[in-house]
Amino acid sequence: MEHAFPITDLELESLATEAVGSVFSTMLDTNAALVSTMEVKSEDYGEGFRLPIDSDQTLIAGTVGFIGGLTGVIYIFMDLPMALKFTGRLLDLTCEEIEAEGHETVNDAIGELTNMIVGAFKNDLSNKGYECRMTIPSILRGSNYTIEPTEDALRRIFKFDCEGSSFVIDILIKEEHTI
Amino acid sequence: MRVKILTVDDSKTVRIIVKKSFKSFDCDVIEAQNGVEGLAMAAKESPDIILLDITMPVMDGVEMITKLKSDPALKAIPVIMLTAEAGRENVMKIAKIGVRDYIVKPFKEEVLVDKVSRVIDLRPAGEAEPEQKKIDDPIDILVLEDKPAIIEQIKRGFEHTPWNVHGVASTGEAIDFCQRKVPDCIIISLSVPDDAAISLFRIIRSNAKTKYVPLFGLSVKTETEEQQRAQQAGFSTIITKPIDFSELENKIGKAVNLDVSGKYFSMDDRFMTVKLPKTCTATEVNEVSNYLKTKTSEAVDAGVANVIFDTQKVDSLNTEVVKLLLQSMQLCRDLSLNYALAGNEKVVSESKKFEESKDWSFCDSIDAAKGSF
Repeated sequence: MEHAFPITDLELESLATEAVGSVFSTMLDTNAALVSTMEVKSEDYGEGFRLPIDSDQTLIAGTVGFIGGLTGVIYIFMDLPMALKFTGRLLDLTCEEIEAEGHETVNDAIGELTNMIVGAFKNDLSNKGYECRMTIPSILRGSNYTIEPTEDALRRIFKFDCEGSSFVIDILIKEEHTI
Repeated sequence: MRVKILTVDDSKTVRIIVKKSFKSFDCDVIEAQNGVEGLAMAAKESPDIILLDITMPVMDGVEMITKLKSDPALKAIPVIMLTAEAGRENVMKIAKIGVRDYIVKPFKEEVLVDKVSRVIDLRPAGEAEPEQKKIDDPIDILVLEDKPAIIEQIKRGFEHTPWNVHGVASTGEAIDFCQRKVPDCIIISLSVPDDAAISLFRIIRSNAKTKYVPLFGLSVKTETEEQQRAQQAGFSTIITKPIDFSELENKIGKAVNLDVSGKYFSMDDRFMTVKLPKTCTATEVNEVSNYLKTKTSEAVDAGVANVIFDTQKVDSLNTEVVKLLLQSMQLCRDLSLNYALAGNEKVVSESKKFEESKDWSFCDSIDAAKGSF
């Protein structure tokens, strides 16, 4: 018999939108609207599964894991122009200044945004009784990502729109300590 | 004096945001990327406050603060945690390890500035700084304490200084005093009845004339609840009874921004002498180090070509003192100044134990050092 996951889809959606909303309004002075939610099942993996944004272009992905009562990893995918815009707003720098600094500045800024979003998400989980610890953020750059978690992990993808562009929050979560 | 804020965070982004938040204040923001660097920076720079992340590589924030609080030279530095890790359990853990406050990311810059200004005195950049007083100038210390014996004890504790201690027993008397004359420093007993200490703190901080006067709380060592309430109200420094007057003197000197170079540096027409004290902790070594460049430049400008490093009173030649002397001697060489060392037998013998100092030669008196040039 299938074991019921302790967090409902509605709760997960609320955790994601609240975490994104809090970080975007506080750090970037903007808002992001949830436009779609994807439930990804193990049979969906394999050739052909695509993120709901243009993943042929170079994307930057911030990722932070959490370990504890619930274990998981959250990815935030966005295109480079959006990453540059957010970095500039966080640090009060122009695009030219950021480009002069190189990849590291953008990577670090997106890593920190991811850290804050996952932190807010994790803190809400803690308040629901699931104590977790976070990992250090890491950053990936590339295109056509394929992530295949273990079969028993719950995966939901949330697409947000912000100022005319889209980004994606990809949540993989399970009760056990492996993913 | 510009206050120093140490931000310890593995994220360059957060360190930049912290710097940006304080750019309109008269302060230096210094940075470290992890707990190990943070501890080293705290020992080197003696910051007025540390903003500390929790999740970091190499050494995390919890381990860093645990080490900080077990180091007598660093434990008094107030720490505010700046972290994405909140949640009930974490907050309880943070509270137990002795942080002054915590800020959960995401955070507004105004919130960061507000929380920090509750702990240290932030002065807007460009605002005229009061003229710096010297260690031997008289300063006025106002003490609000309803127990006359404690006021007498503080007066006796500072008898060897030119400082004037003015004791008052009530908030009203303290306010009257401040209206007549703005003191250089105020010590408020936290045990005065009816929360008078916190009321007076707020009145002083809201008055334009007195808002930057350094304020110390005074409390019995074991009254931790009273001390926590005072810190939450904004007292940045708490002095505990029984009072360690040497420590209090250092804290007042720093808070009032006294020029304490006279304790270590003296100059006549031929020689500059750098006299190291009996006990050379990180505080004393930092003080000497901070004045070193200015004082050697003054010596060069005055045509003095000979520098004597006097370690005759020093109890023990620890690594900090050796580093200071190495730095000082290098500076002399860079400026083409002659130098000589004077030291007692113990210092001479201890110098042989360090690779860097084993070849140093010491004179046994200042006169001998002067004669060696």
